[in-house]
Amino acid sequence: MIAPETEQGVAEAIRAAHDARQPLAIEGAGSKRGMLRPVRAAETLTTRALTGITLYKPAELVISARAGTPIAEIEAALAEKGQQIISEPPSPLGVGGATLGGIAATNLSGPRRIAWGSMRDHMLGIRAVKGDGEVFRSGGRVLKNVTGLDLCKLLSGSHGTLGVLTEITFKVLPAAEATGTLAVSVPDVAAGVRALSAGLGSPFGVSGAALLPGGLASLGLAGPVALLRIEDFAESVTYRKGRLREVLAPYGDVSLVEGAAARSLWRGVRDVTFLDAAPDEAVWRLSVAPSAAAAVCAALPGAKLMLDWGGGLIWVAGEASEAMHAAVVAATGPGSFTLFRAPDALRGAVAVMPAEPAPLAAISARVKALLDPAGILNPGRMGR
Amino acid sequence: MQTNFTPEQLQDPELKVANGILRTCVHCGFCTATCPTFVELGDELDSPRGRIYLIKDMLESGRPASELEARHIDRCLSCLSCMTTCPSGVNYMHLVDHARRHVEETYTRPLPERALRSVLAMLLPHPGRFRWAMRLAKLGKPLRGLIPGQGTTAKRLRAMLELAPEHIPAPQPVTGTHPAEGARRGRVAMLAGCAQQVLDPEINAATIRLLTRMGYEVVVPPAAGCCGALTHHMGRHDPAMATARANILAWDAEIAAGGLDGIIVNASGCGTTVKDYGFMFRNEPEAEAAARVSALAMDITEALARFDYTPSRTAPPFTVAYHSACSLQHGQKITALPKQLLAKAGFVVKEPAEGHLCCGSAGTYNMMQPEISAKLKARKLANIRRTGAAVVAAGNIGCLTQIGAGGPPTVHTVQLLDWMAGGPKPKAIEGL
Amino acid sequence: MIRLPAPKPEVMARRPQILAGLAALVPADALITEELRLRPYETDGLAAYRQMPLAVVLPRTTEEVAAVLRFCHQQGVRVIPRGAGTSLSGGALPLADAVVVGLMRMNHILDINFEDRYAVVEAGVTNIGITQAVAGDGFFYAPDPSSQLACMIGGNVMMNSGGAHCLKYGVTANNLLGVKFVTIEGEIFEVGGTHLDGAGYDWLGLITGSEGQLGMVTEVTVRILRGPEGARAMLAAFSSIPIAGQAVDAIIGSGIIPVALEFMDRPCIHACEAFAHAGYPLDAEAMLIIEVEGSVAEQDALLARIRDICAQFSPISMKVAESAEQSLAIWKGRKGAFGAVGRISPDYLCMDGTIPTGELPFVLGRITQMSEQYGLGVANVFHAGDGNLHPLIMFDANDPASFAKAEAFGADILKLCVEVGGCLTGEHGVGVEKRDLMTVQFTADELDLQRAIKSAFDPAWLLNPAKVFPLEGNKVLDAA
Repeated sequence: MIAPETEQGVAEAIRAAHDARQPLAIEGAGSKRGMLRPVRAAETLTTRALTGITLYKPAELVISARAGTPIAEIEAALAEKGQQIISEPPSPLGVGGATLGGIAATNLSGPRRIAWGSMRDHMLGIRAVKGDGEVFRSGGRVLKNVTGLDLCKLLSGSHGTLGVLTEITFKVLPAAEATGTLAVSVPDVAAGVRALSAGLGSPFGVSGAALLPGGLASLGLAGPVALLRIEDFAESVTYRKGRLREVLAPYGDVSLVEGAAARSLWRGVRDVTFLDAAPDEAVWRLSVAPSAAAAVCAALPGAKLMLDWGGGLIWVAGEASEAMHAAVVAATGPGSFTLFRAPDALRGAVAVMPAEPAPLAAISARVKALLDPAGILNPGRMGR
Repeated sequence: MQTNFTPEQLQDPELKVANGILRTCVHCGFCTATCPTFVELGDELDSPRGRIYLIKDMLESGRPASELEARHIDRCLSCLSCMTTCPSGVNYMHLVDHARRHVEETYTRPLPERALRSVLAMLLPHPGRFRWAMRLAKLGKPLRGLIPGQGTTAKRLRAMLELAPEHIPAPQPVTGTHPAEGARRGRVAMLAGCAQQVLDPEINAATIRLLTRMGYEVVVPPAAGCCGALTHHMGRHDPAMATARANILAWDAEIAAGGLDGIIVNASGCGTTVKDYGFMFRNEPEAEAAARVSALAMDITEALARFDYTPSRTAPPFTVAYHSACSLQHGQKITALPKQLLAKAGFVVKEPAEGHLCCGSAGTYNMMQPEISAKLKARKLANIRRTGAAVVAAGNIGCLTQIGAGGPPTVHTVQLLDWMAGGPKPKAIEGL
Repeated sequence: MIRLPAPKPEVMARRPQILAGLAALVPADALITEELRLRPYETDGLAAYRQMPLAVVLPRTTEEVAAVLRFCHQQGVRVIPRGAGTSLSGGALPLADAVVVGLMRMNHILDINFEDRYAVVEAGVTNIGITQAVAGDGFFYAPDPSSQLACMIGGNVMMNSGGAHCLKYGVTANNLLGVKFVTIEGEIFEVGGTHLDGAGYDWLGLITGSEGQLGMVTEVTVRILRGPEGARAMLAAFSSIPIAGQAVDAIIGSGIIPVALEFMDRPCIHACEAFAHAGYPLDAEAMLIIEVEGSVAEQDALLARIRDICAQFSPISMKVAESAEQSLAIWKGRKGAFGAVGRISPDYLCMDGTIPTGELPFVLGRITQMSEQYGLGVANVFHAGDGNLHPLIMFDANDPASFAKAEAFGADILKLCVEVGGCLTGEHGVGVEKRDLMTVQFTADELDLQRAIKSAFDPAWLLNPAKVFPLEGNKVLDAA
């Protein structure tokens, strides 16, 4: 395992691998090693030694850190100034320790994404190393910037296959003064999604909208539960909780969740621990239009489910088989899917995400060849 | 915006004004979105910015207008929506007026079009001739389907016949002096107009009733007639100036004789032009008189607000859709007043969506550009219907005729206001 | 004056055949070829630059767009995509050998879904047209560039347009779900959909803000948001620019993110007041427009906090809008600001650099000094919350020396923005205007990388060439 402590070190390692045509598995803390397809590489390059916050200007709502900086470290620094990472980075399935680079490269976001945008949405600038060892920048450190092609977006969610992020600058916001959570007992997933849509379609600034089909034992709620969160100034939260309660009343019994219970609830949603996936089960992450969610869930009887983002993000756990995978893909319809976790045999055998349309795939191949000419960055990870 | 006039060209006072207007334009394009023809046709050439560009090129080169320039300038409704939108304050009205005159003077239109335009210019400004033509048109209306062909002229003829009313009201002469009822609070002149008094003489009658009832003496000098807008917008400079001059002299004589508290115009298309006399005559011997007249000119709603209109009846629970005539909202920037007066009179007033878009009437536009006009009319009617209103009020006869054919009954705002102040219920809504 | 690549002689020579070929692809009224009718398409919102195109096509369908691009690709003809032509960076400036493809006739709203909170619209729908279509149900489309009345969503996607309210709601890129994309080869495919954050490379993010370099967008799926219960704007007037800058810092530092936080200096206040009659403080050197959202009580609470903060900076006056009309008038002035400067100067160049907000007082001070050096007036209006400056350099386009000075002044401002850690353009795009300044912000290698990505989409550089990337060092265009 190569663990450079500097960007130059990353560049040199990649250049050497490029010259030797030696494939590299790229990772931060390795917490998402099991995502998508297995990487075909004997050597691993990790950014975990490339750490440290390099710039933090609370008044400008901007922070920069090296890619290997643990998310926890950044969150702690922000909390000191009353700020937070907007997209609420998750530790999916309870696997923590993620680095900033890992979260950026996988573009994983938590419940707040539905209202305030994804990790990708707040990335202002990057430094990265291409597959030939060359360092490049895109974006910058200001909040609005449309100068040139936006390679921050291209690299976010590229799973290390287009370059290795070395430093990321992103926008942060003040943490809310107060939060409030409403839990609605709903008869089924369809009704639950309608409740979430009603909340998100209300003027009360819902910043989290999840659905637990299996209920919430800790609150003594057996049937499906829709969860809605408000974060704002204290007086607003008080007011909006009341108003939102009126909006949600037609959908089922509404109860309030406060304090530590609410915080642990949203942590459970964020980290997908409510899915309760067994170690031998495969896990899929689907993104669909919320109104399609009920049909998707209905098409997967027996699967474990957890919904976030107003019903648009569906986590599925089930048998790690090709048949189950085919069923999940079919259920997803025009939405998008990711085989998030599975035994190597399965994730090496199936399409782990939707294929690009042919003309786009051709462009995609050209871009990949451009950024990783020797094909050494995380080969196989995204199916190529 | 950069312009390329020679110093010699800028000696010409008209071109100097045009250059000043063009220099104000920063080419931001805001005007395109609120221009009815751009919204319908989707070509920059049929937007104010495109026309300004075309006009700039035409005037800079000094060349005669071509069929192309005539086509795109003719398609402009002169609704002046662009002037409401324009942040830079470009006086598009004066620029397009200038361009129309240039087209009229330098371009020879095809014979049928020339003939048609001449007929309209001969008929419309003269109530006697126009009434006579309307009677003929009424007879011809059932035969409009027999006009052969899909050519422009055929379409225009059919559109003209289509517009002929089923019922041509008896004339109600208004010239002379109408004394105030009770104590006289003031004295105003009223523009009797031309086409309006043929199509709906009740509008003048209601205006006079209401004003005299409020204590104002209303004079309609016999020498005053058409305001000149119809010919002015056709680019026919000399006839327009002649009729306008007659008005200026007649009203200025009244100013000298008994003083005037206002020159009341109840057709907003005419109002926009009368308010512009000062500019039109800036280089004429009558410049001062024209400026005096323009300063006194006011829309009937402005006059009623100033004279403190007060209703005396309780209004029925009508919902009135207020249609803001372009000449009123864009030309004269009168937007809230008529709605406030109608509300004061007790009506529930609703405003249709896309209120900034023209109904397609626009003077002679509905006859000369029947296809675009029909599209705009359909769009307007759909928006009006969505309000669910029983009656449409507007301040311009062109709109009333255009919308009235196919939509809910239309009345002039002043008719509703007169009714609520003691006048008769307008005939158009007798059944309501 | 900006240099444009030489027209391809073989294209110019085949103009009649090319026009005939285009005529076979679209209805007669969708093809413009006469010189007089092409004239209005020679420029856009940056009227200082002009170039007549070879032809203009105004397609009505994606298939027509694809057919035209396919044909142009086969024939080696350059293509300039155009929306409403409101670009302030010359993004739609034609080339002599190029066909302008204008999307203004593709102005239909195709689908609105309130449950899933999206709208599918054709690229020629105006920005405000989307909001108008959903406003009846309490929704809106968040990005609101000042030209929102006229600018079209297709252009917004291509320039990644921002607006006054993006401090809270983000820019175009943050409010898109998908697009229908047409490549220069005439291939049509969907990117994204009606869902969030699909798996795979973020092509949508790359396409957004790509300034017509990669392909054309004919349909757009945008997120629509439920509007707040209400919103109210307040004006705070200060005696100097640095003091107003400090007030901005203090507001953000307090944890309040107003939905908009806009800044105007004295010349701009005067020009806008003449247009909008909004009651702007004419005695102020600097004014902030601060907008908050929520119920009336929430607005009151937030405005009270903001007033307390502003009060620490000895404001000349503070005024809270008392009605929806007053708020509208306040925004009318702000949104018409660029055009309104047309009242005090025949022409202006609008700069668009972004700086770290901490550098505001320093940069505005330097701009004032430069204004004196160059002898050209400048009016400042900008998004203070995110440091996106809009200095409006006033000049006289009829005086070539004045224009040259304005360009140099603008370049100096943008270099300064980059020097203090900012960028050349925050929301207007590089276009043709800032093309040659790209070397100030990027290294040659970084520019080559971006060029290579364009080449991956458009190997022959037929799409909107001569924009974004400096001509110097452009291997493909040089070879051509």
